[in-house]
Amino acid sequence: MSQRPLELILARNLMSALSTPAFLVDEGGVLVFYNEAAGMLLGKRFEELGTVGPDEWGSLFGPFDGDGEPIPYDELPLVVAVRNGRPAHATFAIRSTDGAGHTVEVSAFPILTAHGSQGAIAIFWPTASNGADG
Amino acid sequence: MKVKLWGTRGSIPSPGPETIRYGGNTSCVWVTLSDGSLLALDAGTGIRSLGLSLGAEPARLHILLTHLHLDHIQGLVFFAPAFRPQTEIVIWGPASPEASLRDRIARYISAPLSPVEVRELPCDVSFRHCPQTEWEIGPARIRVASVAHRGPTLGYRIEDGESSLAYIPDHEPALGADIDALDEDWISGFALARDASLLIHDGQYADREYPDHIGWGHSSLSHALSFARRTDARRTVLFHHDPLHSDGRLDELGSEARGHWAALGGEDGGVELGAERSEYELPARTPSAAPSA
Repeated sequence: MSQRPLELILARNLMSALSTPAFLVDEGGVLVFYNEAAGMLLGKRFEELGTVGPDEWGSLFGPFDGDGEPIPYDELPLVVAVRNGRPAHATFAIRSTDGAGHTVEVSAFPILTAHGSQGAIAIFWPTASNGADG
Repeated sequence: MKVKLWGTRGSIPSPGPETIRYGGNTSCVWVTLSDGSLLALDAGTGIRSLGLSLGAEPARLHILLTHLHLDHIQGLVFFAPAFRPQTEIVIWGPASPEASLRDRIARYISAPLSPVEVRELPCDVSFRHCPQTEWEIGPARIRVASVAHRGPTLGYRIEDGESSLAYIPDHEPALGADIDALDEDWISGFALARDASLLIHDGQYADREYPDHIGWGHSSLSHALSFARRTDARRTVLFHHDPLHSDGRLDELGSEARGHWAALGGEDGGVELGAERSEYELPARTPSAAPSA
C-alpha cells in the first residue's frame, strides 16, 4: 500500500475536525475521504463506503441541477478543481441514501504543492432550503 | 551500515552538567555505508564534533538535511571538512517553491548571521533538492517523504543491503489524527519507517507536556511509540530531546518509554533514548540492529 502525500494526510486530519461537510479526492480523482458531517448529509459514513473511483462517486448522491437533471461529472466543482488546478463553485441538489434532497453550495479548490497537484477538497455548504428539495 | 549519534537534542543546544550523558548538541547522525560512503543526517551543532573527529578525511561526503530550522543547520559553518579545499560536500534537502536550497541555506551562512558566505567555503560544495523518487548514494538506496512538522520537512529512509535506517527527527504524526486507528497509508512517515532495522524518531515531549505543544511539530513519547509499534520498526531510538530535559529527567522518560513499549507488546530492548556518541551497527543480513556501544 503506497503512502498518501503529506498534504492529503493533513487535509484529512483537518477535515476530520470540521463540522462542515467536506470531501477529499486524490490527484487521480479518487474519492479518498469525507468527514462525519458529509456522512450525515449523505446518509452513509465514509467507513461504510470506502474509497470510490472517479466517474463513480458523483452518481452516489446525484447531483442534480435546478431542473432535476443530473449534472455531468466533468462539471462538478471537485472534478474541475482536480483536473484544471483551479477553484470552482456551484449550487446544486443532492440526494442522500434515505431519499431526502438537499440543496448545497459547493466550493472546491485544488491541493497544489511543489510537486504538482495532489488532489482537491470540496466543502459543501447546505443552504436554507435543506430538506425541501427532491 | 554503521550509525553514530553526534547530536540528539532538539530546538537549541543545551550544554551543561545536567545534559552530559544524553548530550546537549542538536541533531546530527553520522552514517557509514557498507562501501565506506559517508552521510551526515542533519547539521545541527553535533556536526562540529563530528567534523573534528574526521581528521583530514574524508574526500567526499553527503549531508542530508531534513529541513532548515536552525537546530538542523547551525553546525554547518563549524564543520571542519567544509574548510578543506580537497573535500567535496554534497548537501541534500527539501525543495521549496520559494527559493533554491542553496539560497535558503545562504540566509544563515551570510552576514550578519555568519562570518563567512557560502561562496567563501573552501570545500567543493554543491546543493541538491531531494528527488521524489528513490536515488542512490554508494550502495544505499535513499528515499524521502514530506512529514508532519512545521514548514517543508523530510524524513529519510536509507537502505543498504538488507539494513534500513529511518530518520524522522522532527515529526508530529498524531496532529489531528489517531495513529492507533488510522489505516497505515494515512499516517505521516509510515512508509519510511515500516520494518526499519533502526528508527530514529522525534520523542521530544513527555505525555503530560504534549497538550501545551500541540501543533509545534513534535511527538509525545506515547505518540512516538505508537508510531514505532505500528510501523514494526525493529529498534527505535527516541531523539530530539527537549532542551529542558536533564539527564535525570531523560532517565525517567526512558523508563517510562520502556514500560509503555512493553504494554504495547514491544520486545525488550526495542526502544531507548538516543545519547550523544551512541553507535549502532546494522548488519547486512540479520533482522535487528545490534548495539555496538
